Amino acid sequence: MRYFIAILLMGLIVAGNAHATTITEVTSKGGIKAWLVEDHKLPLIAAEFAFRGGVEQDPVDKQGLAHLTMGLLTEGAGAYDAATFQQEMADHSIILRFGASRDVLMGSVKCLSEEKAKAFELLHLAVTAPHFDKSEVERLRSQQLSGLKGQLGNPDWQARYALFSQIFATHPYGFRSLGSIQSLSSLTEKDIKGFAAAHLAQDNLVIAVAGDITPVELAPLLDQVFGQLPKKAQLAKIGEVVWPAKPATILVPREGTQTEFLFTMPGPKREDPDWYAAEIADYILGSGGFSSRLMHDVRDEKGLTYDIHTGLSPMDYAGVLIGEAAADNDKVGQAWAIALETMRGFYKDGATDKEIASAKDYLTGALPLVMTSTDKIAGVLVDLQLKSLPRDYLDHRNDYLRNVTKEDVTRVIHKWFNPDGLTLSMVGKPDGMKSTETKDLVHN
Amino acid sequence: MLQRFLIAWLLCLPLTAQAAVFYPQDYKLDNGLELIVVPNHLAPAITQMVWYKVGSSDETAGQTGLAHYLEHLMFRGTSTMAPGDFSKIIAAQGGSDNAFTSYDYTAYHETVAADRLEMAMKMEADRMHNLQIKPETAVPELSVVLNERQQRTDNDPEGRFTEKVRNTLMPNYPYGTPVIGWKAQIEKLTAENATQFYGQHYAPNNAVVIISGDVEPEKVLQLAKSIYGVLPKHEIPPRQAFGQAPMPERHSLVMVDAGIEQPQLELNFVVPSYATQKAKEAYAYEVLGEALDGGEVGLLYKSLAVEQKLASGVEAGYDPDARGPAIFAIALTTRPGVDPKVLEKALMDKLQALAKTGLEEKTVKAAKERMRRTAVFARDDLMMPGYSFGMAITTGHSVNDVEAWPDRIEAVSLAEVNAALRDLMANPRTLSAMLLPDPNATQAVKEAAHPVINHDAGIR
Repeated sequence: MRYFIAILLMGLIVAGNAHATTITEVTSKGGIKAWLVEDHKLPLIAAEFAFRGGVEQDPVDKQGLAHLTMGLLTEGAGAYDAATFQQEMADHSIILRFGASRDVLMGSVKCLSEEKAKAFELLHLAVTAPHFDKSEVERLRSQQLSGLKGQLGNPDWQARYALFSQIFATHPYGFRSLGSIQSLSSLTEKDIKGFAAAHLAQDNLVIAVAGDITPVELAPLLDQVFGQLPKKAQLAKIGEVVWPAKPATILVPREGTQTEFLFTMPGPKREDPDWYAAEIADYILGSGGFSSRLMHDVRDEKGLTYDIHTGLSPMDYAGVLIGEAAADNDKVGQAWAIALETMRGFYKDGATDKEIASAKDYLTGALPLVMTSTDKIAGVLVDLQLKSLPRDYLDHRNDYLRNVTKEDVTRVIHKWFNPDGLTLSMVGKPDGMKSTETKDLVHN
Repeated sequence: MLQRFLIAWLLCLPLTAQAAVFYPQDYKLDNGLELIVVPNHLAPAITQMVWYKVGSSDETAGQTGLAHYLEHLMFRGTSTMAPGDFSKIIAAQGGSDNAFTSYDYTAYHETVAADRLEMAMKMEADRMHNLQIKPETAVPELSVVLNERQQRTDNDPEGRFTEKVRNTLMPNYPYGTPVIGWKAQIEKLTAENATQFYGQHYAPNNAVVIISGDVEPEKVLQLAKSIYGVLPKHEIPPRQAFGQAPMPERHSLVMVDAGIEQPQLELNFVVPSYATQKAKEAYAYEVLGEALDGGEVGLLYKSLAVEQKLASGVEAGYDPDARGPAIFAIALTTRPGVDPKVLEKALMDKLQALAKTGLEEKTVKAAKERMRRTAVFARDDLMMPGYSFGMAITTGHSVNDVEAWPDRIEAVSLAEVNAALRDLMANPRTLSAMLLPDPNATQAVKEAAHPVINHDAGIR
């Protein structure tokens, strides 16, 4: 493969559609709302939904709780034990999944339209009547522990963890979604039940549906599935991230042939007026694949890395600009020096008219291209709601981008893209790199 | 929830890839190029995939990695386009592009707005015929490829394990050599090597173009005739024969690495593919794979993870799209605290018991029904037609084989599935492999330890 397509943090791709996609808001009798894109070309339905408040809601000593709880929702619910529930999903070709990211608990269902009654029945049971039986808890705990141990051997995860524990310190964004060996083993059935009861509710829920279903069919299903959830979630209050006063260069020594490195500094949040200009600037610097300056300078010209890229991650309590690359141990110094020079040049001289035009071409043109399947359409609709964007947003999004001026981009580069503010995290044995602090590999 | 690991050659595509019934239009241009069109009007977008019937198994001895190196160089300029411009032009339209190389094929793809189809076709036609490989771009690109090998294999114990497993299972065989090549051989590849390989293998009569999305087939055909149809065909060297199947040997392999915290084990069998099967047994192996894996309802997960509490992840898989033999693989993650040898024995016992008693009719029926239904899901994706037809046609199968897949799966009998399992258990071309943490590694040792098996310099 020619390069990795990586999504950093929970990078949000807000997309739109120049071609008219009609988003309908469906409201049930019980007052539950969903956004719907109706399309009957294929006999399929995809639904995506999210509860605000994700891994950040884990108690500090109970990390891994959100992830474990969500995994257990499909392991026995209502009249079905775990094996029967899974068999029902398989026999009816229903894909039903739950997960947890930093800011939200997510769920999705995809099914043939002829199976929608069964699919929504299983979904209803999963969110309102999960069993959390002891044997299932132990089985999923062991799976999560396996996953956690798998992470520990992964240099990319080590670099990420070292970086996040540095910049987020005690803020919940520094939490480990799978927990630690100790925290995971301490989770009880009571913790799990309590977490589900507090966080799966109506007032923190957003729903999106796409495919072969009409508003009239969907409305009663919303009440059937979500109507019995508590009206209000009990969410722990999360504060804004306060960045460390000084940037750091962290080294995690690890044997091997290459060094993985991640770099980060504050970025704009999604509601920041600078958002669109920042998207353009980030595209030019590092998120534009082979069109980006970093890829050109470090990979194409010098062959020092297989991939280098950046991305903006607008989260609820912090905006982050983050980048990553890997290079041979004896070339890291050179690769990083070139990357820094590129970033300094960008900060000092800004972007050219041509680069800005190219970035706008890409960002506006990409709109219809991310909505090519029913689940992708539903995913976009959930993202829009989570970011509190209006239902006609997709009709205007490209204009917001087109209206960005060169002055806007220059201002944003000066505000957000000064590489002197970068914190760097390296895992490996890099030559020619000085670190301000050394951390051990995490083994638990 | 299952931990996906190790079987990279299965990872690249789920089994559902073949499941599709796409109702395509299939054309052959006068110069031999095959064009397949699958309309899908969900979004005003198209995906074009161009597949060449050449991969790492077509390389000559001593030049491993050449097919993949050429894939990189396909982005580095033609007589009409500057190095790097290909992706920039696609990006300027909001589109995305990439490429990949495997044992039997090399493929390039773009997703763009439907009204940019002509542009994307012109660009692929251009590099099908006009590629120019210059030392000033070829040299840094070779460093990029070496970096890719470091990142994916040498610096990653799981990557090294995967490479070692294949190489042990199929020694001295095209499928036993890593697609990316051995490091010492990649280092010696030149612009001349790549130019020669391009000249031999890249031509319209060695390519399949699949276009899916918001298009009308007749219009696409007219465009293709005027854009691809004018390229000259030339003689393509016959593809290298695979020769004798790998030696019938039962191997076992243990790799210990300080970078690994979670024991993993794999059981691999060399079995027939679509191309080498004698009596449709590939389809029986596919059903067997689904019955054994099938997520949490699979027989192995139920036995090893739920009942015996020995495994935390179970996967079984089989990719029959190959010119030569295929691999049937079972991959397990141990439940923490469980001795991997105990899990391995439990796996073998379970497989032997199943082979003896046979699978139940209802298990096989349910597996077949799940597989049949994946066809509908496969249509909800612009890439899936390209993957399905591309993999089939470059390995000797046809459009009809892809379209007939649900029927052939449906036709597999219980007796055939049970015969496939018995064959598997009696198969002498087997490798049991474990990737284990280093039990003696204290924290300090872990940081200083080298892997026991390191194939940096492995040249076969």
